[in-house]
Amino acid sequence: MTTNDSEICRDNSFTGRSLINAGLRIVLFIAAVLFLLAISMLLGPSGIGIPDLQSPSGSAILSLRFSRLLMGLMTGAALSASGVVFQALLRNPLAEPYVLGVSGGAGLGATISILAGSGLFVSLGLPVVAFIAAVLTLMVVYLIASQGSSGHPSVYSLILSGVIVSSICSSVIMFLVSTASVEGMHNVIWWMLGSLQPVSSGQQLLSAALILGALAGIWLLSPRLNALALGREMAHYQGLHADFVLVVGLLFATLLAATAVSLSGMIGFVGLIVPHVMRAFFGPDNRKLVPLAALGGGTFLVVCDALARTLLAPIEIPVGVVTALAGGPFFLIILQRRMKQAWIA
Amino acid sequence: MEQAALTFREVSAGYKHRKVLDNVSFSVREGEFVSLIGPNGCGKSTLLKTAAALLKPLSGVVELFGQDVHRIKPALRASLLGVVPQKIESPMAFTVSQIVMNGRISSIGRWGTISSRDHDLVERSMIYTDVLGLRERYFTELSGGEQQRVALAMVLAQDPKIIMLDESISHLDINHRQEVLQILMNLNREKQMTILLVSHDLSLSASISDRFLLMDTGRLVKAGIPVEVLDPALLSTVYNCDLRVQQDPYTGYLQVLGAVDSLNRRKNLNRSVHVIAGGGSGIELYRRLLIEGYEVTTGVLNRLDSDAEAARALNIHVVLEQPFSPVGNDAIAEAVQMIDKADAVILSQVPIGSGNLVNLELASEALKRGKTVLLANGIADRDYTEGKAALQLVTRLMNDGAIGWQSIQELMLQLQKHSHS
Repeated sequence: MTTNDSEICRDNSFTGRSLINAGLRIVLFIAAVLFLLAISMLLGPSGIGIPDLQSPSGSAILSLRFSRLLMGLMTGAALSASGVVFQALLRNPLAEPYVLGVSGGAGLGATISILAGSGLFVSLGLPVVAFIAAVLTLMVVYLIASQGSSGHPSVYSLILSGVIVSSICSSVIMFLVSTASVEGMHNVIWWMLGSLQPVSSGQQLLSAALILGALAGIWLLSPRLNALALGREMAHYQGLHADFVLVVGLLFATLLAATAVSLSGMIGFVGLIVPHVMRAFFGPDNRKLVPLAALGGGTFLVVCDALARTLLAPIEIPVGVVTALAGGPFFLIILQRRMKQAWIA
Repeated sequence: MEQAALTFREVSAGYKHRKVLDNVSFSVREGEFVSLIGPNGCGKSTLLKTAAALLKPLSGVVELFGQDVHRIKPALRASLLGVVPQKIESPMAFTVSQIVMNGRISSIGRWGTISSRDHDLVERSMIYTDVLGLRERYFTELSGGEQQRVALAMVLAQDPKIIMLDESISHLDINHRQEVLQILMNLNREKQMTILLVSHDLSLSASISDRFLLMDTGRLVKAGIPVEVLDPALLSTVYNCDLRVQQDPYTGYLQVLGAVDSLNRRKNLNRSVHVIAGGGSGIELYRRLLIEGYEVTTGVLNRLDSDAEAARALNIHVVLEQPFSPVGNDAIAEAVQMIDKADAVILSQVPIGSGNLVNLELASEALKRGKTVLLANGIADRDYTEGKAALQLVTRLMNDGAIGWQSIQELMLQLQKHSHS
């Protein structure tokens, strides 16, 4: 091929209209994210608007709102990106941290460590214990699913055994709670309902580091996640260490989910639906999807939390309730219109 | 210098509890176009998976350009060998260009950088397979043929030296199959790409392949040029059904035909029928008689008659005469011999002219010898002889005891009736 030819082709395929549209869409999305985050800073149980910064209570309110915003961003980003990875690796639209039992395992680990420990150890140990418990759960799920198959488990047996292990985990959590002291029970239930109540700054820093690290790792893995979309066999033919990508991807996704659970308890919906909506808008290319879904999931949770605190103030609605109640119908409408751009059902 | 692109040395391979490949050895030279054939479940797909290092051999070695394929780094292996699977499925809405880009995945840098060489290879392979115009479309929206071309583009983007296709074209309609095959042939002829095609279309493969590998129950039964491997006896054993191989007299192409009827044939009635036909009027009769379980002979037919072709295909003994010449005494004598062996003689709805009037005389001979003779009605409309000689002869035969028939159904009933009498 002559250089001339290749220039013409390059011109057509990589600077076409659709690319400009895609770029514009990303700019609009980021503008919307900034706008929504700013709005969330104005909402709270103490009233709508910027609090009086001169008064000590005013600046305390603002700093509290800001730390909840950070909590929401971290948790939402982690859950959403984790969902993206699970869906890409398992090539299944139902995959998410909950379905594979990862959240359940992390929850069980966190419950044990809340009930058993106290003080600083709990706060810093929580993400670590949650992660270890989640990885152990994933391994159990994988082993159960592998039984009977020659080598690799099918996606269906993975999801099925994930659902089973997940419900076992929640039963064990219930049992532990029912036998716990009043104080312990109170702590666990509060944490389980899902709340963006800021945790200690040490835990926040550790969690932020874990989440950012895992996001970066997943982003580096993302072109390979794209190749895995055609299946493990095809990825192997294309020169990929398919099993390596699978294991590393699962570990990163589990780390994200476990950290999110240890930060804010069991918040559903974000890990399943946000990835779908972002995929519907920006396509399934994981190089774009991973950062955008992280941003989108974080913002979604921040907005939901702002609503949860404001709508029935001074009563605070559990944020998990808002994510499903407010987000559900909204996302359903989007998905109905744009599902074709995300998954082929 | 031609060297071995892919070599199997005494390879046995399979899955946990099931050995599929049994001591397979062969070699494919660089630039060869080889078709791998064999019945379903004989291990063709397992062979491809073993060649691509997806399966580790239980024993033996697979070599890719002289190196053990399991010792080659995956990225290098992908630049030597590409595999087009039966069908690729993308559950997510990837566009065509995103799918094709996957072919470069092994060379994409740790930081996700895509070089201009990667872009060039992707574009070039999309041009080669004529899918550049589809690049913004969703892969899943495409037709089967387009998807297969995209899959091929993706594998070409790997820039491999060998391409293996696992029945990738079997499910395509004939138009798209030709399209993909044309691309493969171009790759083979223009770029000296080595191609290993798993195929179920033996005739089509025969027309494009340099060599055939025939497999049966995990073993390599025969390797060689198409005409050697496409041996009817060998194929019939391997595929466990009646197969015939015909060579097109004009192009020399080999055609493998299955004789489906032979499977449906009822048990032999031990009764034989001689059919006098011509001009295509016998084909339906032959098929029906065979299905009903009769031994069938036919003739005299001229060598180029379509009935003669049909009779050969159905393995019916046929008395032949050269085209455009009067029926000679040898042929008549042979036909009379057959009539002697037959229980009944059937005259089809063949038009009668001076050239084949002798066939009617054969019927008359049969009647004289006490055979049941069944004549198709309506001879008056098919009589092209001078002075209506055929009509006269038929009328006389009917008077002498020949039986008329209108439909094949009626003919079968008559045959049954007279075979019991």
